[in-house]
Amino acid sequence: MSQKQGKILGNVAFYLGNTIIALIFVSPLIWMISASLKPESGIFKGMNSLSTFLPTGASLSNYLAVFERINMWKFIGNSLFYVIIIIVLDLIVNSLCGYALAKFEFKGRGILLTLIISLMVFPMEAIMLPLYKIVADLGWTNEWASLIVPFIAKCFSIYMFRQFFLDVPNELLEAASIDGCGPIKTFFKIVMPISGTVYATVFILDFVSHWNDFMWPLLVVTGEEKRTIQLAIQTFFGSQPIQYGPIMASLVISAVPMLVMFILLQKQYVEGIASTGIKG
Amino acid sequence: MKQRVIKKKSEKIAAYVFILPAVVLLFAFLILPALSTVRYAFTDYNIMRPDQISFNGLENFIDLFSDKDFFKATWNTIYFTLIVVPFQTALALGLALLISSRRKGVSIFRAAYFSPQVTSMVVIAILWTVLYNPNPDTGLLNAFLVKLGFSANGFLNDPKTAMNSIIFMSAWQGAGYQMMIFLAGLQGIPTEQYEAASIDGAGKLKQFLYVTLPGLKNIIKYVIMITMIQAMKLFTQPYVMTKGGPQDSTRTLVYYIYEQGFQSRNFGYACAIAAVFFVIVVAMSLSMKRLIDNE
Amino acid sequence: MKKQVVCTLLAASMAATLLSGCGKSSKKEGSSDGVQKISIWSPTDEPAIEEWWVKKIEEFNKAHEGKIELSREAIVRADSYAYEDKINAALTSNDLPDILYVDGPNVANYAANGIITPITDFFSEEDMNDFVDSIKVQGTYNDELYALGATESSVALFYNKDMTDAAGIKVPDKLEDAWTWSEFKEVAKKLTKDGVVGTNIIMDQGEGLPYVLEQFWISNGTDFVSEDGAKADGYVNSEAGIEAATFLKSLIEEGYANIDPIQKEFHNGKAATMLGGAWEVATLTNEYPDMNWGVTYFPVSDKTGTHVSPTGDWAACVTKDCENADAAKEVMNFLLSKDNVTSYAKAIAKLPTRASSYETLTEYDTYPRSLFKEQSLETGHPRPRTPSYTVLSPGFSEAMMNIFTGVDVKEALDELAADFDEDYEKNYAK
Repeated sequence: MSQKQGKILGNVAFYLGNTIIALIFVSPLIWMISASLKPESGIFKGMNSLSTFLPTGASLSNYLAVFERINMWKFIGNSLFYVIIIIVLDLIVNSLCGYALAKFEFKGRGILLTLIISLMVFPMEAIMLPLYKIVADLGWTNEWASLIVPFIAKCFSIYMFRQFFLDVPNELLEAASIDGCGPIKTFFKIVMPISGTVYATVFILDFVSHWNDFMWPLLVVTGEEKRTIQLAIQTFFGSQPIQYGPIMASLVISAVPMLVMFILLQKQYVEGIASTGIKG
Repeated sequence: MKQRVIKKKSEKIAAYVFILPAVVLLFAFLILPALSTVRYAFTDYNIMRPDQISFNGLENFIDLFSDKDFFKATWNTIYFTLIVVPFQTALALGLALLISSRRKGVSIFRAAYFSPQVTSMVVIAILWTVLYNPNPDTGLLNAFLVKLGFSANGFLNDPKTAMNSIIFMSAWQGAGYQMMIFLAGLQGIPTEQYEAASIDGAGKLKQFLYVTLPGLKNIIKYVIMITMIQAMKLFTQPYVMTKGGPQDSTRTLVYYIYEQGFQSRNFGYACAIAAVFFVIVVAMSLSMKRLIDNE
Repeated sequence: MKKQVVCTLLAASMAATLLSGCGKSSKKEGSSDGVQKISIWSPTDEPAIEEWWVKKIEEFNKAHEGKIELSREAIVRADSYAYEDKINAALTSNDLPDILYVDGPNVANYAANGIITPITDFFSEEDMNDFVDSIKVQGTYNDELYALGATESSVALFYNKDMTDAAGIKVPDKLEDAWTWSEFKEVAKKLTKDGVVGTNIIMDQGEGLPYVLEQFWISNGTDFVSEDGAKADGYVNSEAGIEAATFLKSLIEEGYANIDPIQKEFHNGKAATMLGGAWEVATLTNEYPDMNWGVTYFPVSDKTGTHVSPTGDWAACVTKDCENADAAKEVMNFLLSKDNVTSYAKAIAKLPTRASSYETLTEYDTYPRSLFKEQSLETGHPRPRTPSYTVLSPGFSEAMMNIFTGVDVKEALDELAADFDEDYEKNYAK
């Protein structure tokens, strides 16, 4: 077997294998899109064969129904607004903290790190009610603050930033220090620009988790003014009989910003890594 | 652990400035409510009567230790974690390796593997419930099994297989997330190391064992850690797909906390479960951390 | 250095935000100008109902200008648990509205916990006589009326006419001829073939199970709990109760019904019959126009032949946080007036709760809707009125799921009864 043949074979195996596995991974997405295009009576038909993934009798009527029934643009806007604010503040606040934990020596660092790792595991379901009480006592119910402020600091993000900053070479920081950069300047001018990857990662993870928030917005937001997209989608589940067509259409709509953001950021993500020059 | 020690005084102050916003916010919106939760664990707080809370000592904890649902939920949580963590980590690493080569179209596959992450859990739950349908006339997986000559499987409707079905689905749904982290790690391994290994005559497997795995050491630790923490908190899947059944086989601790606190209104009791849960998980993650830090 | 300042400011401003809100209470403003403000929470609903609310609130506010100002917030219901979680949270800080819509079986729980207040003297005797019994019974706890709604629900047996015709099955068209359980099972057996199951039992792992299946207990001469709602042992797990559960189990065990039916199994021709709500009439007519279907009465126990059918729907209550009972009374009388019950029931396509509404809603004079009207008026029975329903409902779903997956019937029901009795004893026994 010549090298060329080997290469072709390798390519075939690569693309064939990846395509099959990729199809398995995207199947729910395909099913969701296809269901959103079908008439109500076709959605749960033929569930025992692959034909259920084909959009037979496709039309946009479910999408029209969604926009007719609810003010979808407004709810998308609401969600985008508060999620983006959370993320921007999260990136600043938590990366600062993660950097301090990775690179500074200070009293209480060990305790803080242990605390942060431990608190990562505290489930939202267990603190939801006391947290609601705090937010209500602050007079924040039905205010944007109730959706945003409690979720800026995140143990998970701090830990993630810390793990990545650990790998920033000390020589780089020392060089900056010799050049006369203070710690803050070093962080913003030297560390941040080479850490695009971790920022992009936290951005993606944060976006996905907050975009899908349901329980908390349900508790703190009443009425339509600040209703989020997930709450809006749930309105379709409320009344019998449940119509799955509009539900699927609204779920597709809600997946679009996440997909767009991922496709845009994954380039950042890869370039961020390529440009850092961090090795090992 | 390599860590730089910065001794200059101004930098010490900087450290506190850096951590201050996060610490203040964490204190107000995580630690304070968590402390409330612990406090309520010693009360008879019924969620419908927030104005009639009275201290009842260790009663909740005493009840807890004779509650077989609690022990079952603890076991289910541990079982889920023990199985899903290695499975999902290996799957994520496998996917990352699959698409780490510099070929055209890699970004499409990367997006595909990540896509379950952007799909709402509601859709995933509906779809998998349908895929897992025990009747081969209506369930896709069973239709295949029967065509291949196996007998139909109960999946979510059989207490013996329900948890495993959730494990499989969860790993499938979650692997894309860890894959992204592994990809970042893989790109951080210098290509020279592979070239050197290749010159020494190492095959693909040896390169994986002696270059890739050591190069990913930190990342693997991190991924195991976060997967474990998420696994311990399993809630949505049983909530949407099985409601903890059949026969308690998928009731996890966090689901039990929700069930007791909100549905059955025993909020004090739910807080006691949460407190015990917290202790278990902290113990587990700290010992885990020690274990992987010390190799 | 500049950045350092920025950071410090950022931190300081965050700390300030935290403190600034402290001590501020979110309690509603008083009525300085003499206008009483009344707020309503009800679940989000279909466009027709949302429009109804907008129109009616406008109408009310116009008529009461300068006296009462009515507003309504639509709360996302999702499954009914999400709506309750919202109320539970609001309770911790007295954020409840004046008028709250709750699902029928939860009324007793809210009443027993003092969250809603009696409205017994809100309505005239003439009005009360017009309301159907089931809705009044549903809203009554400890001899006081706490809740009243504009609509009712009912469940009957839908059948695929093509399939019953092909099997030569004659379907009863009179209440007294309703199928007995054994006849029903025989029909299901005959219709189970070629990948189609004989019937569909609601398996929503939620409120649907107790809602539809309680009738099997009642028809067999028992119920889930005692009349006063205090005891489940000896009721849900009585001989008659075990018989009912065993009958349901046999439908699944012998393959006449699926343990995990696909969504819209009946609509897609995968189940020949279905115990379905009155709302399915509209779905089948609009979404499945090609389907040839019919509907018949809820099956009855062989032993007793007692006719009974599920009822229950969301209803309006007045909460403890309401500061002006007179204004609330005015609003309740408006929402439940003859005209408004009729127009609401029409908009939502559900059964009205006032007998007089049927004079206008003539669609209920003809089959298939007439059958639901008949059941609602003659055989309707609400779910148990007990504060421990919060344990009963999820517990029953779980018990049935366990029974269907092989747990001994008596064992599962005994455990349910014990859990219920423990909860009642602990929280509500005096």
